Amino acid sequence: MIPELGNIALTLALVSAILLAVFPLWGAQTNQSGLIATARPLALGMFTFTLIAFVCLSYAFATDDFSLSYVAQNSNTQLPMQYKLTAVWGGHEGSFLLWVLMLSLWTVAVAIFSGSIPQEMVARVLAVLGMVSVGFYLFMLLTSNPFQSMLPFVPVDGQDLNPLLQDFGMIIHPPMLYMGYVGFSVAFAFAGAALIAGKLDSTWARWSRPWVQAAWCFLTIGICLGSWWAYYELGWGGWWFWDPVENASFMPWLAGTALMHSLAVTEKRKVFKSWTVLLAIGAFSLSLLGTFLVRSGVIVSVHSFASDPTRGLFILGILVVLSGGALLLFALRAASLNSVGRYQTVSREVMLMGNNILLCAATLVVLLGTLLPLVHKELGLGAISIGAPFFNKMFVYLIVPFVFLLCIGPLSRWKQQSVKALARQLITAFCISLVAALLIFFSYSEQAYMAVLGLTLSFWILVASVLEVWQRIGAMDSQYSIAKRLRMLTRSHWGMILGHVGFAVTLIGITLVSNYEQERDVRMLPGEQITLSDYTFVFNGVSKTQGPNYESDVGHFSVYRSGEKLTTMMPEKRIYTVQRMPMTEAAIHTTISRDLFIALGEPLDDGAWAVRVYIKPFVTWIWGGGAIMALGGVCALSDRRYRMSTLAKFKKASPLSSATGEHA
Amino acid sequence: MKKTWLVVIPVVLFSLIAGFLYLGLFSDPRELDSQITGRPLPSFTLPDLMEPEKQYTPESLAGEVTILNVWGVWCVTCAVEMPYLTQLKEEKGVKFVGLYFDQDLDPDNGTKTLNRVQQEVSALLSRYGNPYAFNIFDTYRDTSLDLGVTGAPEHFVIDKKGIVRMHHVGDINERVWRNKIEPLYRKLTQGSATGADS
Amino acid sequence: MNPRRKQRLLVVSAVVLLVGGAIALMLYALNDNIDLFYTPSEIIEGKKGEKPQVGQRLRIGGMVVPGTVERDNQTLQVAFDLVDTGPPVTVLYNGILPDLFREGQGIVATGVLVEATTIKAQEVLAKHDEEYMPPELAEKMKGIRHVKPENAGGGT
Repeated sequence: MIPELGNIALTLALVSAILLAVFPLWGAQTNQSGLIATARPLALGMFTFTLIAFVCLSYAFATDDFSLSYVAQNSNTQLPMQYKLTAVWGGHEGSFLLWVLMLSLWTVAVAIFSGSIPQEMVARVLAVLGMVSVGFYLFMLLTSNPFQSMLPFVPVDGQDLNPLLQDFGMIIHPPMLYMGYVGFSVAFAFAGAALIAGKLDSTWARWSRPWVQAAWCFLTIGICLGSWWAYYELGWGGWWFWDPVENASFMPWLAGTALMHSLAVTEKRKVFKSWTVLLAIGAFSLSLLGTFLVRSGVIVSVHSFASDPTRGLFILGILVVLSGGALLLFALRAASLNSVGRYQTVSREVMLMGNNILLCAATLVVLLGTLLPLVHKELGLGAISIGAPFFNKMFVYLIVPFVFLLCIGPLSRWKQQSVKALARQLITAFCISLVAALLIFFSYSEQAYMAVLGLTLSFWILVASVLEVWQRIGAMDSQYSIAKRLRMLTRSHWGMILGHVGFAVTLIGITLVSNYEQERDVRMLPGEQITLSDYTFVFNGVSKTQGPNYESDVGHFSVYRSGEKLTTMMPEKRIYTVQRMPMTEAAIHTTISRDLFIALGEPLDDGAWAVRVYIKPFVTWIWGGGAIMALGGVCALSDRRYRMSTLAKFKKASPLSSATGEHA
Repeated sequence: MKKTWLVVIPVVLFSLIAGFLYLGLFSDPRELDSQITGRPLPSFTLPDLMEPEKQYTPESLAGEVTILNVWGVWCVTCAVEMPYLTQLKEEKGVKFVGLYFDQDLDPDNGTKTLNRVQQEVSALLSRYGNPYAFNIFDTYRDTSLDLGVTGAPEHFVIDKKGIVRMHHVGDINERVWRNKIEPLYRKLTQGSATGADS
Repeated sequence: MNPRRKQRLLVVSAVVLLVGGAIALMLYALNDNIDLFYTPSEIIEGKKGEKPQVGQRLRIGGMVVPGTVERDNQTLQVAFDLVDTGPPVTVLYNGILPDLFREGQGIVATGVLVEATTIKAQEVLAKHDEEYMPPELAEKMKGIRHVKPENAGGGT
């Protein structure tokens, strides 16, 4: 009964999506207010029906309804309840249901929080979102319906959730990632609506900015969680593998970052209009491309969903219709776009343009590295693979000019900036950061010159951010106290600062962990010990334990630091009984300056075990930086400007807006 | 204006990428044209691998649901699945018939004698278990080619009337058996031979 | 009009320069980091008539031959044979094998060819899927052993 209800709800959601794609747009084009007014209720209907379907599937999981083949494939009676519920999105079909739930959530959010935007515009935006939804609902119902029944052969028990996914990180990683992926559909919808209406002024940039920031926040958190999960769950201690699945989420992030900055320029200075539209289309297209790559199995990946060409073909169809259509529309309209603003070669506009180019170059590098093996094969040149060194090398090349622009961008003014003043600030900042980097460099006994580069760049960002705040405060009325002046900086300004600081923190983490990581793979007998820098790890043997749905060998390690006992670490080797799948559960001891990481390999002869021991300096900073970046996004999002009311009042408070030109 | 051709670049680039993605989608090596499914076995008259004087035709398989297993001693995966197939035969009474082929045994340009291959086969089967009711020796690999075999191991589920119901590429392990083959196998054995739809 | 033109020219030339530089760097980085994929029989018999050189970086995919996994008693050094449809190739690896490394399992290794049939691997991957056959390998196996003999008319 419940599964049938879910199926009906999904069908109704599809119907709402079709109506949403047609009526409001028709109304907006022919100026019929009755049709325009259907947009909001239809969006709400679409969301409600999807939510019902989702609740039905969750209920089927909670009650072990193995008559649904999706439940039978991804759950088991022995599975703990919290994992039963998260198993809802553990496989292909369910994760797509989550995906459309997110999409309808964004749609309904646009419908609710768009009071200040003209009605026809809202109608068009919602209609474009409706078109996107139609594609995905059809995809679900035709090729991957989670409510597919298994009758008449109902299994007694299910096959269990993939053990890799039985983990806290995996509970929240997919929802966050999908929120980000799908969130770019809102920017896409705004750009699409503006293209359809032929009104590509800077208003659409203002309206879509908060949505892009929100999506970007979710994507940032999603990527960080994914990386963190890979780090502690895959047992290899790596935090980024340049695997196609990771690249698939990284490309929209890079494009989204570029879009966020470009939108700011378009809103404030009314330039780069066509570029911004292109980025909005690009960010969402890359999200779709990522979905395609992960779901179709076109590209070999270490962790991917089951491949099925019909599914791939369907997503490719959606990609071609949506992105191809938008790009064609863009090609038709963009020729009429004229940017009115004027600016000098040294100005904030140019810095942001440079930063955009670099971000796009980075996106292209990832795209190329991901797709080249495919192109190579299809051209008949044989199978190849592109290793992580390629990406690493390219990102080192890209990061130097990127950081340079990142430092001078916030310091320079719109329209025109005196080179002399800028140079003085920059050189000061650079000297401070170089000294700091060298201090750290000499505190490590190992010599790694890349570390100096990475640290200098990171500190440079930090120092430049402080200088920038100082400069802003200095420009304010001196009758206020410093604390008051700090508070007078807008939230979106703080958002920018946090975003940049977060990036610097991540960069510090990446630099230190890549250059000063210590790794040892050893064969250890009980009683043996191994010493890495200050730490001594003593292996006390292995004991067996029994989990709810797995059996486990637990290794016992005592860790000593300079002779003093620090802690006991217990890595595990689990066998999940239903799928007979071995899993490595690493033991990690975290402090702010380093992680100790122990993973059990395989048992060898006479009681010895293969053991992997790492010391990873500052590795948590990578994700900490990501969290700070996301916090920056939240900060910018909470800016009062987006609440649309007190704009005029606020202009006085922000020195930034004095440069915001009404100059043609 | 000169700007006009610039805006076409994204469209062109995008089309190129989409084209390659489309191609990539259909070069999936596991996707097979299972043209044989739903049709009767192609006709053949082939000798037994061990006793060459004995001849088989498609009628030799009729009357019982059979899984035809294409294999060879040179195929590693075949040896890997052998114990599980034997277990299926012993526990569930599944009838496996081997369709054996060997490049080195080609009557025209092979390097091995039939005798030697028979020895290798017996050695392998005694080591990993013998799931086969009998082995058909596909002398010229004609029948394998007619069946659309592209490698080994491959399996054909044949119903009581001698009609191919499923073509499975790759080994049979517990998971494949439970999810993919057993439901069909049960249906074919339980229902009358005509009960199965195509 | 003139300063505006000049500025445009500057921007355009800067962009062209950057893009050109980026492409050059990219090709340079790619050159070192493309690993061609081989199957064991291609390493021995050559791929389209070209055999890989000793010292070349490559990727190899195949099935681990049961019974060939040999471990060193003192270290984590391990050696095993990989096959597809022809003769085997030996892979040497020093380190911890992935969870799903098993005899009879398809794996992919990246490394350097140190002798004609020996590869020293830096990385060994096994997919988290029991039915995994590396797609590159499946594709290779597809084309093998079904050349229909022209003169097979002699008959059964």
